Amino acid sequence: MAKKYYIVAEHLFSVDVNDEMFVQMENYEPFAVENVDSISESDVSFSLSIECGINVEYVEETRQDEEGQIIVCGHTVKNQSTFEFILNGLSMGTLLCSPDYKTATIYLAEETSKGANRFAVNNAIMVLYALATARYGTALFHAAVVTYRERGYLFLGKSGTGKSTHARLWLRYNEGSELLNDDNPVVRFFENGAVAKVYGSPWSGKTPCYKNQEFLIGGFVLLEQAPYNKISRLRGVSAYAALLPSISGKRWDKVIADGLHYTENALASHVPVWYLECLPDEAAAKICCEAIT
Amino acid sequence: MKIKKGFVLRDVCGEQVIMGEGIGALDFGRLLCLNETAAWLWTQSELQGDFSVESLADALCEEYDVERDDALKDVALIVDEWKKVNVVE
Repeated sequence: MAKKYYIVAEHLFSVDVNDEMFVQMENYEPFAVENVDSISESDVSFSLSIECGINVEYVEETRQDEEGQIIVCGHTVKNQSTFEFILNGLSMGTLLCSPDYKTATIYLAEETSKGANRFAVNNAIMVLYALATARYGTALFHAAVVTYRERGYLFLGKSGTGKSTHARLWLRYNEGSELLNDDNPVVRFFENGAVAKVYGSPWSGKTPCYKNQEFLIGGFVLLEQAPYNKISRLRGVSAYAALLPSISGKRWDKVIADGLHYTENALASHVPVWYLECLPDEAAAKICCEAIT
Repeated sequence: MKIKKGFVLRDVCGEQVIMGEGIGALDFGRLLCLNETAAWLWTQSELQGDFSVESLADALCEEYDVERDDALKDVALIVDEWKKVNVVE
């Protein structure tokens, strides 16, 4: 076992991994901390350990089901939070967290494939990251992000709306745009100067795009499929409502809910939020770029 | 009646909004904007725990200079709205 340190969106965390697991974590490499000697344990946002083959007993609270990927949220008799990750009906592992989400262990399911372990570890780190950083003006978004003229633009929407497709249309038709992340970027709001930034992350859905880069946010765009292209600005509660479903979190934990609400409110108040009804075509990318940049 | 578990009143960009955050309220899937009176009544409902149109109207009369009949009418309208969207039981 070796302790590896990573920094994602300026939050430092550690993972205890064996060599076998480590070779599967190449998506974390751009975020690895080279100079480990300079690290102080008090700077670590959270630490994850990886164990094998122990069954965690828990009571289910609720579950989230997205395209066959299920996260079952629960708690143990000692009231520790648990998250079991299920893929295509098979349990991949269960995450057991301390109450403040600063330390946690992922118990991997026995006799599953290496891909299964990788799936469980990735999900465990994402869940833990979202929960441990929620109170620090940080939100893990479900979005595709492109950068254009030194600003990041996040495309939001329900699964299957075409976030990735719209991002690709930008790359093709809006010269100078680049993909920062295709699925799970991190967004932070800094009170000092009221600045919002988007960061690449080790999680990018089906597209391997793990960029350790940050950009000021130029805007959020909520996408909805339509037989025409039309863009309008959202403000106040409507802007907040557009951001809300794109942020993962355990909102029935008050500390988490308060933290996410603070971030959502700050973003809705300080960053432009748009509503794009669109076709998957060149005109959509052009109209959108024209309006928001 | 009482406010269903998991519903909270929050300040969203300067507006008073009810949202579902607790287990069982996560599927609410909307934000309910309240005017000043409704937001005040919601806070009263939270304080009272088990409340009725009458108990809220009494509180309203104590706090503001309104006739009891008017208070009863106003409170009933607002509470009906809450029943309709299923945030009280």
